[in-house]
This record gives sequence, C-alpha cells and structure tokens, in this order.
Amino acid sequence: MPLYREGAPSGLVVEDPWLRLADDAAVPADGMVLVSFARWREARAALLARRGPVGVVLANTDPVEALAADVSRLDLMVLHFPKFSDGRAYSQARLLRGRFGYQGELRASGGVLQDQIAFMLRCGFDSFESEQKGFGEALAKARTLFSVVYQPTEDGRSPASLLRLKRRNVLVS
Amino acid sequence: MAKNLSGDLQVASANRLSDGVVVWLDDAGDWTSRLDRAAIARDKRTGEILLLRAQAEAFAVIDPFLVAVTEDDDGTIEPLSLREKIRASGLTFDVIAADAVRYA
Amino acid sequence: MPDTYFYRYDDYDRTLVSERVDQFRDQVRRRLAGELTEEQFKPLRLTNGLYLQLHAYMLRVAIPYGTLSSRQLRKLADISRKYDRGYGHFTTRQNLQLNWIKLEDAPDALAALAEVDMHALQTSGNCIRNVTADHFAGAAADEIEDPRIWAEIVRQWSTLHPEFTFLPRKFKIAITGSPNDRAAVRVHDIGLRLWRNEQGEVGFEVIVGGGLGRTPMIGKTLREFLPKNELLAYLEATLRVYNRYGRRDNLYKARIKILVHEVGVEKMRADVEAEYAETRDGLLGLSDETIEAISQQFAPPDLPPRSNLAGAVEALRLEDRDFALWLKSNVAPHRVKGYAIVTASLKPAGAPPGDASAVQMEGVADIADAYSQGELRVSHEQNLIFPHVAIEDLPAVYAALGRLGFAEANVGKITDIIACPGLDYCALANARSIPVAQRISSHFAGLARQHDIGDLKIKISGCINACGHHHVGHIGILGVDKNGVELYQISLGGDVDFGKTALGTILGPAVTADKVVEAVDSLVTTYLDSRGDGERFVDTFRRIGAEPFKDRMYAAL
Ligand code: SF4
Repeated sequence: MPLYREGAPSGLVVEDPWLRLADDAAVPADGMVLVSFARWREARAALLARRGPVGVVLANTDPVEALAADVSRLDLMVLHFPKFSDGRAYSQARLLRGRFGYQGELRASGGVLQDQIAFMLRCGFDSFESEQKGFGEALAKARTLFSVVYQPTEDGRSPASLLRLKRRNVLVS
Repeated sequence: MAKNLSGDLQVASANRLSDGVVVWLDDAGDWTSRLDRAAIARDKRTGEILLLRAQAEAFAVIDPFLVAVTEDDDGTIEPLSLREKIRASGLTFDVIAADAVRYA
Repeated sequence: MPDTYFYRYDDYDRTLVSERVDQFRDQVRRRLAGELTEEQFKPLRLTNGLYLQLHAYMLRVAIPYGTLSSRQLRKLADISRKYDRGYGHFTTRQNLQLNWIKLEDAPDALAALAEVDMHALQTSGNCIRNVTADHFAGAAADEIEDPRIWAEIVRQWSTLHPEFTFLPRKFKIAITGSPNDRAAVRVHDIGLRLWRNEQGEVGFEVIVGGGLGRTPMIGKTLREFLPKNELLAYLEATLRVYNRYGRRDNLYKARIKILVHEVGVEKMRADVEAEYAETRDGLLGLSDETIEAISQQFAPPDLPPRSNLAGAVEALRLEDRDFALWLKSNVAPHRVKGYAIVTASLKPAGAPPGDASAVQMEGVADIADAYSQGELRVSHEQNLIFPHVAIEDLPAVYAALGRLGFAEANVGKITDIIACPGLDYCALANARSIPVAQRISSHFAGLARQHDIGDLKIKISGCINACGHHHVGHIGILGVDKNGVELYQISLGGDVDFGKTALGTILGPAVTADKVVEAVDSLVTTYLDSRGDGERFVDTFRRIGAEPFKDRMYAAL
C-alpha cells in the first residue's frame, strides 16, 4: 500500500525501506527489519544483537506496555487500524509517544482515510499507509485543518485552555 | 377485493443521496418519488435482477433494497410492512405547522 | 438584548466550530461528487449530527447542558423554517432534532448554527456525546454547585478528542449538582454527582456503567470522591480503559456497562486507578485559574429584589383553577427569594411530545426575554424551562404560554409523556411512539383528573434502544414487532430519582396498539383504588407489587 510521511515534500508517496519479516523467516544480519510483536518477544535479544534498525508491528490488542523499556531501541512501530471505526490504536499511539517516550517512526496501517489524519497526527503518528486518492494532498493540509485544539496531546500543540491562560496573564502583567 | 398478498411482488427502494427523500426504481431505471411508477418484480428471480439493477443505478441514492408489496385489482401497489407503508405515505399523525400557533 | 449567564464562546471556540463546518462542507462535496462511498461518509456525517431516517436526513443539534439563550432559540426557529419544515423536536438528551434536512443544505444549516455559537458536533457516532446536566442548574434551590461549569469543561475536552472519536460505542456523560438528581446520573455511561464531604469539600462521585437500551443497568460507583480539579485526568483514564478493553465484537455488548459488568466494578476501578496514577499529574490537571474563568461565565444574573407575596398571583390562583394547578405542577422553587423556575409544557393534550413549531420557539424566546433574563433550558423530559421568573410575573408568563399552547399544567403528570420519534421517523424503530402518546394524552386530558392521579411518568420507546427511557418510566411502554404487527410491552415501577433508581418490571405479554389506552387506564384505576395516604403511583406499586396491576389489566383487555 502507498506510504506517506508527514513532512515529505508536498505529500508525495515515499519509499518503504523496511523489510517485513515473516515470523518463520531467518533474521538477516543487517538492514532494516520489521517483525511482528510475537516475533519481537521471542527473538528480542537476537534482533537487538544484529546491525541495523528494528521495527515492530502491533495488533491493536497487543499490550504496548511490554515495549516500554525498549522504545529507544526501536526505529519503527506500526499500529494497525483493521477498520476506520476501530480506534484502539489511537490509545496505543498516545501511550507509546506520551508515556513511554518513543521517538521513532509511528506508522498507521490498514488503509487510512484522509478524514482520520488530523486525529492521528494529534496522537503522534507520522507515517500512513493509504490507498485513498488525494491522500497526500490531504496530509499536507491536515495539520492546519483545525487551528484550535482543546486537548493537550503528544503533538505538543497548546490547547485553548492554555492559550487563554497565557493571554490572560499577558493582560494582567 | 382481490389482493396479491403472496409477498412475491417486490419493488426496489432507497433514499435519495442529496436530500434523503424516499424513492423507487422505475422501469426506465430512474429513481422516482412516486410508488405508482415503481418497477415491479413478480417473482424471486426477477426480484434479484431488480435489486442488481438498483445497485447499478445507486450513484445518487443510498443503499437500495427490495420492498415486498401487494397489488390491488386496479394495479395499486402498497408495501406489506408498516415500516414501508410509512416510508411510502409519510407520517401517520399531523405534524405541527410552522405557524401553528399565533400569539399576540 | 439581555446578556447571557452561561458560557460565552471566545475566538478559539468560534474558530474551531467554523473550521469544522468547512471540513464538513468539503466532506459533503466529496460525497455528492462520488469521491466518498456511503460507508466512508456515514461516520463523518454522524459525528456532525446528521442521521438518515426513514423519510429524510435528520440533524441533531447539540444544546450543551440544555442551556439556551433566547437568541439561540430564535435562530433554531429560523433554521427550522429555512432548511426544514418549520418545527423541531426536543429530545430526552436535551438536543433538538430537525427532521427534514437535505444533505446539500446541511453545511449551510451548520454554518447558521455557528453564527449563534452552536453546533451539532458529537450528537451521534461512537464518541463522547453532548454532555447533559440538571435542567434547573444555576437556579435550583437545592443546588450545591452549578454542574454546567463542569459540563462545559467536559464539553471542551471531549470535542474532537483525537483518541476517543472511534470508541467501541457511544458514550454519554451526565452531571448533577443537586442532591435531587434531575439528570439521571445512574443511567449514563458516566454519571457525575457533585457532593460535599465531611471536610466540607465539594467533589464528584463518579458513577460508571449505567444505561438503558437492550441491557439496562444501574451505574456503579467507581470513585466515591474525586477532587474537582482532577476531573479530566480521571475521565481520560476511564475512557482510555474503555477504548482499549471495551468489546468491539458485538454491537450490543460494546457499551461500557457491559465491560464493567463482565470484569466487575473492582477490576474496572483497579484498571482506571492504575491508568489514572499515570495521567493525574499530567497536563489535564485543571488550574484554579481555568476553573475560575469558566465559573465566572456562569455567574448567576443579578436578580432585582422582587416580592415573594404577589397579590395578583394569589388573586388569580383563587379565581382560575387551571392556574392554581399550573402553579403546583409547573413552577418550582428558585434559590433567590421572589423568583421561581417555570416549566413550559411541550405536551399539550394530543400533541406530539416535545415538538415545537418555529412560531412557538420564537414565542418562547420572547417570553424568556421579557421574564427570564433571556435564558432557557431544555429538560430531558422534553420540556422548555424559564429558569429565572419573578413570582409577580407568573400570571403574565402563564398567559403568554397559554397563547402558545404551552401552559398545560401537567409537568410530572400522566400526560407529560416522554416519547421517542418511533416508527414515524426512525429507521431503527419497531413500532410507533408518537401516536400512542397522543392517544394516552388525549384520553387523560382533563387537568383535575391528572392532578388527582398525581405524579406519574409514562415513557415510550419505539424499540429496545430506549431513547424514550421506558425502563425508568413509572409506566414504561416499549414498541415491539411481531410478524409485522405493532405490539407494546408494558412495564411498571421504573424510576430515576436518586437513591431510588430502578428498572421497570415487565407485566406480561405485549398488548396491541388499540389496547394501550385501556391498559394504562386500568393501571391507573388499580392505583387509585389501592393508594395509601400521599402515595404516588410508583409508591403504591412498590408496596403492593406488580400482581394486582397485572391481573386487573389483562382482565380488562
Ligand atoms: S427508541 Fe428506537 S425507535 Fe425510538 S428513537 Fe430510539 S432507536 Fe428510534
């Protein structure tokens, strides 16, 4: 599926450099490999011992807590949206970014629709698999779709409540 | 009065995308808001074909489906189920009019 | 024009709502151009309050915590005339439904709403729905604190919440600030009850997992006492647990009540508290300044001193019996001496419950301007409320309401029926609700009789989704479908009063549509024959049980 990355020039499709490793495939000595959560758990030490970055694919029922100690060792996490209406991975994303401090690439898979992008960006996603026409253009505009937000989240934007406080304090001082 | 109550008679219905109005597929393959113009399928097999035709013409309507109808001697058709009767003929009580109550 | 005494949008709120309208306009354009399928578009229109009903689209307008200015109500009248058929339906969730909106007009209707700082956000879909609160908030004599302050804080936090827009199922929050719960907090996904503890601090009791619908349940206490400034962090923790672990395999088991029921409230509490331990010190903590800034906007109007003893009221009371009854049923005590809270009954005999025409809405707005500081409330009983009326003005308000057809002295009585739209409008219905309500209300139209019968809440739903709250009706009526015939299942003894919240007991086999009035009449007769001193219908039911009612009812049919 075409892959898009936030910040890529004018929302173009980007190359996916990762090798998705089947659970029974041998682990290559180098290169960028992407493994399932089960494989990660079972072969964590071997995966970390090799040269080259490792990424993990999670189902939306996998406990992200189990990756808390390893977030700095991983360069990609793929969170899955089996359908538009199943929002579990939004919570996983916020935990990974906000609570565990994961800084690598956070990818949404499962066929993202452009109307989800604004929510996903707010939860810390920065790359997206999508088959939708016009997705790249929509991604380029998604961050400015709403210039006001009400919740503090992992995207670091100041919610309205904070901006109001600041404004009031400027007025007072 | 003889009525065909078998439930074999079917018409294809949907709601129009632009305004939600109830429509039926006519013989020409257009969507009409008049039930008396609806194309009638008289057995299961033609019912399936009618539904396929309706789905092929579904660009401007939402989720077409088949509705079982009865037919009078004079050819008047009426849906069998209460739900479809109400869809065809509207609310069963008088709504309040916009200017129902005037005040001084 | 009078100022408002509730939250006023600032530029942030306005920008967000208008950007949302722009976004929806683009989504509608894409749908009409065929770029989006119905499957893709449906969740988008739903989170903007637009449903497809039997005959048309329906727009559900949010009236946060049921509070409305006269200016807003006039705009709603205007919108109903311009984009609909000149009337609207006030719902049990303090919303307004417009039944005949065109998809192509919906963005314009939403833009018109935005002009008066209103929207239809999150009135549908699997998100945190429009927050409801006590309809007497800010005026009630028994209030500890105005719950609307917190409802507004929750409104903002929940609006376009990026994590909680695709929950397993819809999520309803209700807040009350009074010991007499008028917001039904025990039958919501989360109910919040403000109370004062022994140390004199005010905080929330957090109740989780209540709800009606297919599997009605009374909510359980998740947290006895939550400090107020921790509200959002605690809600976020609860919603996160629900979003992650709520069931998604079965539509009918997806509400939080099922999760609570399946894991048990202790486990639920442990999970929420564990999550909360991580979130509590985060950015969601509410600063005193933020709370104070919002509280100030709800500062009550400066009501000029008015007399408690109004000669004209007394004179009219003695001379006009209907007015005397109206004072009893439609007028409630206000926290300020010389004032009262007046309920305009949207249930004139034989009318569709909760419906108001554009002209009636404008008339109500005029009355609010003249006599109630320009402010109105929508109750979950589908009536409109004037929160600040001087006692001296009651005769004038009564007369003005009479001209609109909204002065029926029936609040809380047998004709103050709650009914959902039912099969006349609703795509999910099994049976009609409105015509049944109309027949019952015509049958019991006489005021003297109604007042003799006393408090009796009839609640009617057209299907198991229970939008008409039939489970908690003193008499609950549920429409069911048997082989294409509308039947009505009758239950007794439901209640939402705090501390007495109960679900009704089903009496027996469902009755046909033409027997519903007789059935209700028989239930009332049984009550009248058996009641003890000062007993309401539901009290008698609790004392003597279902049998006597049941035997006589089925014998009468
Ligand atoms: S209770 Fe059923 S019939 Fe009534 S409005 Fe709700 S979904 Fe429709």
